[in-house]
Amino acid sequence: MVDAISFIVAFASFYGIFVILAVSLNLEYGYAGQPNFGQVLFYGLGAFVGAIVAANLLPYFDHLPIGNICNAGAYTVRTSIGSSDAGISLGVWAIALIFAMIAGGIIGLVVSYPAIRVKEEWYLSMILLVAGEAFVIVVENTPQIGCGFEGVDGILNPFYWVSNLYASSPFAGTNLGIDLPGAIYAVVIMACAGICYFVAQKLANSPYGRLLKSIRDDKVAAESLGKDVAAVRRRIMVIGSIMAGLAGGLYVYYLGTATTDDFVPAVTFTIWVMMILGGYANNKGILAGAFVLTLLERGSVLLSVIIQPYFPTFNAAVIIYLEYSVEAVILLLLLLFRPKGLIPERRIQTKAYELFDFSKAAGQKADASNATIPDTTVAKEQGSAS
Amino acid sequence: MPLDQNDITLRLENVSKSFGGIKAVNGVSLTVRRGSITGLIGPNGSGKSTLFNIISGVERKFSGNVVFDGKRLNGLAPHKIFDLGLGRTFQTPRLFTGMTVLENAMVGAKNQRGESPLRAPFPKDWEPQEMEVAKKTQDQLKVLEIAQLYDKPPSEISGGQMKLLQLANVLAGDPKMLLLDEPTAGVAPRLAQDIFLSIEKQCKEKGTTFFIIEHRLQVLFKHVQKVYVMHEGRIISEGAPSEIVKHREVIDAYLGA
Ligand SMILES: Nc1ncnc2c1ncn2[C@@H]1O[C@H](COP(=O)(O)OP(=O)(O)OP(=O)(O)O)[C@@H](O)[C@H]1O
Ligand SMILES: [Mg+2]
Repeated sequence: MVDAISFIVAFASFYGIFVILAVSLNLEYGYAGQPNFGQVLFYGLGAFVGAIVAANLLPYFDHLPIGNICNAGAYTVRTSIGSSDAGISLGVWAIALIFAMIAGGIIGLVVSYPAIRVKEEWYLSMILLVAGEAFVIVVENTPQIGCGFEGVDGILNPFYWVSNLYASSPFAGTNLGIDLPGAIYAVVIMACAGICYFVAQKLANSPYGRLLKSIRDDKVAAESLGKDVAAVRRRIMVIGSIMAGLAGGLYVYYLGTATTDDFVPAVTFTIWVMMILGGYANNKGILAGAFVLTLLERGSVLLSVIIQPYFPTFNAAVIIYLEYSVEAVILLLLLLFRPKGLIPERRIQTKAYELFDFSKAAGQKADASNATIPDTTVAKEQGSAS
Repeated sequence: MPLDQNDITLRLENVSKSFGGIKAVNGVSLTVRRGSITGLIGPNGSGKSTLFNIISGVERKFSGNVVFDGKRLNGLAPHKIFDLGLGRTFQTPRLFTGMTVLENAMVGAKNQRGESPLRAPFPKDWEPQEMEVAKKTQDQLKVLEIAQLYDKPPSEISGGQMKLLQLANVLAGDPKMLLLDEPTAGVAPRLAQDIFLSIEKQCKEKGTTFFIIEHRLQVLFKHVQKVYVMHEGRIISEGAPSEIVKHREVIDAYLGA
């Protein structure tokens, strides 16, 4: 049976990862107007790079031969290191995440470079969409990279050793009823998501946020105001891809395996729905959108497990696929009733407004005693002038 | 002739541009004096906006030469040209629709530290400059009488105010020279007069050079020292407004004789 605590732990882990992905997409599309239909590429890349780095470094730091990381022997070696050696586990995990981010950033730059000079952002979107699919095909058919269809297995939670530590401690008798490493890691994932959210908020509420929105709203106007649009687009793709790579690295350590099954285009679609639901160019909206979609996705998994015993002849797992139908309905309802998302875009909050908000407040005070006639001439004559 | 004769800020040499079979601009040569207000008039479709697109780098495929302050602009991207001090507005205002009036007007400020993604997360680094830019923007918006709209998106302001905002956007970069494409089209007559008065003020106080496309000849002629007349891609006449109005070809071009 599924208990509440493990549901919460899984929910928190997925929520954190989805928040990072959605924050990243929102920077690229919501703020900078670059539709990335290949988000899954950077996510998957982060996962595979993280897994491959971990699979090589774990034995290396333990002075063991690395050999073929796809072998059963190598699997045993890394799981045994992961369940016993705290230092190596955490160190390798940190390095793997860094490599996942670097890989995301570099590939983000390389993939977007040729298309970014083209004014129409849709060229790049198509390239990214195709690159995402190509990545899966290449990995599946090149066993030398990521062990082919099998994927890279045995990437233990970086806190796995905690459970062994606990088992050999004086408290070992008490059953905690909780997957301790999983719970710790969920907190770590949430912390990483918090950092990404915080960074995104800082970037958005600054002159940089204005710069991004200006190229989103009108590239020609932004260029004519001195903005190097191609460079700005390139950099935001790198920033977004670094975040997506981080999400991939965190995810592979959550799941224990990097397989191509997890990086299908539907993932990109789900992230898009999170952003559209929550609200473009609003990071708070992203938190809300990711929450609803994570609930939907985890909820459908939970539901399938719960109802299975009551319908022995029915494969309840198919319920999971209902998620996509519900997403489609959400999209339709949004377009009809809340096209700007749950929390619409707001003004860019920098100190500049203080100057104006203050004058306005002062002006209103003065107006109270001395009512002014609003200047409507401009608006009225506007219609008749040609 | 040497490239930078001191009092000439913009020089066009035999500039041509075709769209398919149409010669939108056909062998245009002209000069704009530093610190002057110069007009560019001509009937619809005569190539005026295309000429501005060429000068500002929006249109980069053309023949001939564009020289600004002694520097050849051919092939330079619009942002480089803006950095050199040559700004422009568009016939149909191009504003940032998802941003407020204030944000629009602040984008154009040059060398903003906080525009770097590495600095942006550290407000202490850029806030002093941000406040300077905000103050300057406030002053500019007040001069243009749109400061009270600072919090509004462009969709909620009038067409005339959009024209003014576009002017504020480009003035934020302290351009040495401005190309204005029909700054008063669709604007109330009183406001049209005001726009030209603030252009004149900007020209006198800061020495900004203006090159202005305008269909409202009466207002334009009151404020310019020199006018170029375009017709079917060519400059057909040039001179002081008082001379231009007497010109047979100009009258023909306008009245379609
Ligand atoms: N991007 C383009 N593609 C094809 N033809 C164009 C393009 N831009 C302008 N033209 C054509 O070039 C000619 C000159 O147009 P332009 O906009 O420069 O005229 P204009 O003098 O600014 O006219 P108006 O007073 O109506 O603004 C017109 O025949 C126009 O149809
Ligand atoms: Mg025009």
